[in-house]
Amino acid sequence: MIREEVLLDFTSRFHADILDLEDKSNTRVYVTITPESIVRIGTYLFRNIGARFNIATATDLPPKIEILYHFIVEDINLLISLRVFLDREKPEIESLAKEIEAFNWIEREMSELLGITFTGHPDPRRLLLADNWPEGVCPLRQDYEEWDETVDRTRGI
Amino acid sequence: MSLKLKALLKSPWVFHLSTGSCNNCDIETLDCLTPRFDIERFGMLLVGSIKHADVLLVSGSCNRMSVERMKELFEQVPKPCLVVAIGTCAGSRGIFKDSYNCPVPLDKIIPVDVYIPGCPPKPEAIIAGAVKLIEKIGGTL
Repeated sequence: MIREEVLLDFTSRFHADILDLEDKSNTRVYVTITPESIVRIGTYLFRNIGARFNIATATDLPPKIEILYHFIVEDINLLISLRVFLDREKPEIESLAKEIEAFNWIEREMSELLGITFTGHPDPRRLLLADNWPEGVCPLRQDYEEWDETVDRTRGI
Repeated sequence: MSLKLKALLKSPWVFHLSTGSCNNCDIETLDCLTPRFDIERFGMLLVGSIKHADVLLVSGSCNRMSVERMKELFEQVPKPCLVVAIGTCAGSRGIFKDSYNCPVPLDKIIPVDVYIPGCPPKPEAIIAGAVKLIEKIGGTL
C-alpha cells in the first residue's frame, strides 16, 4: 500500500472517531481521535496495517493532558501519531497493554509520572519512582510542588 | 600519613559507580583504562567488587533510587577509602539541581576528596585529578 491508500483506508474506516487530521509532512501525520476509540484504532494500526509501535508520550497541557501514540509504518516510511486529549482532573483511558505487550511499561511510566489511569492494565504497579515516593504525587504535572522536607537545593559543599 | 593510606597509594584500585549518569562520564572513565591513556601505569586497576577497592569513583546526579545503593556500597568499602566525584553532576548536580528525583548533592551524603569537573571531563582531566588526589594525601608517583 502506498501512503495515500493507507490514509484513505484509515480515515474512511474511522471517520466518526477522527476529530482532526494534520498532514504535517511527507513522513508525518498527526491524527486527533476520541479517547474511547484508542483501543480499536491502535490495534487496527498494529494488526491490520502492520505498523510498528514506537513510543507513547504524554504532556500536561492545562486544562488537558495530551497523549501521543506514535506508530511507524515502515514500508512507506510514515509516522502516524494518534493524539488523545484527556480531562486533567480525572485522566482516564482504556489500556492498550492487554492487547499489545509493548504498551505495558510505557503505560506504567505515564501513569506514575502524570497520574493517568489506564483501565484494564494487566500489571499496574510502579515502574520508575522511588519506594518512599508518596502515592498520588505526579512529578511531571505543571502544578507539582516539593513534598520532601529533607531536600537540599544548594550546590553542595 | 598512616601506613594503611601509604600502602593504598602505591596502587589505588578503583571501583566505578554510576548514580544515574548519562553514561558520558562512564565512557570517559573507561577510556582512561584503555591503552591510549593507560591509567594502569600508575597502578590503578578497575575492580569488579567494592570489597577490593580503595577508591570509589562516583558519576551521576545521585537520584533517589541509586542513593540508597550508594550508601550501602560506601559502608562496604575497606577503610580508609577515597571518594572521587567525576563530572559536573556528581560535583554539583549540574542542571539537575532542582529536579524532583535528585534530592541531595553527593558531598552532603558521603565525604568527597576530589572533584573532577567537566561534562564529561576528558580522560586527561581524570588522570590529572587522580594525580592531585595522590599528591593531596601526600604520596608521590
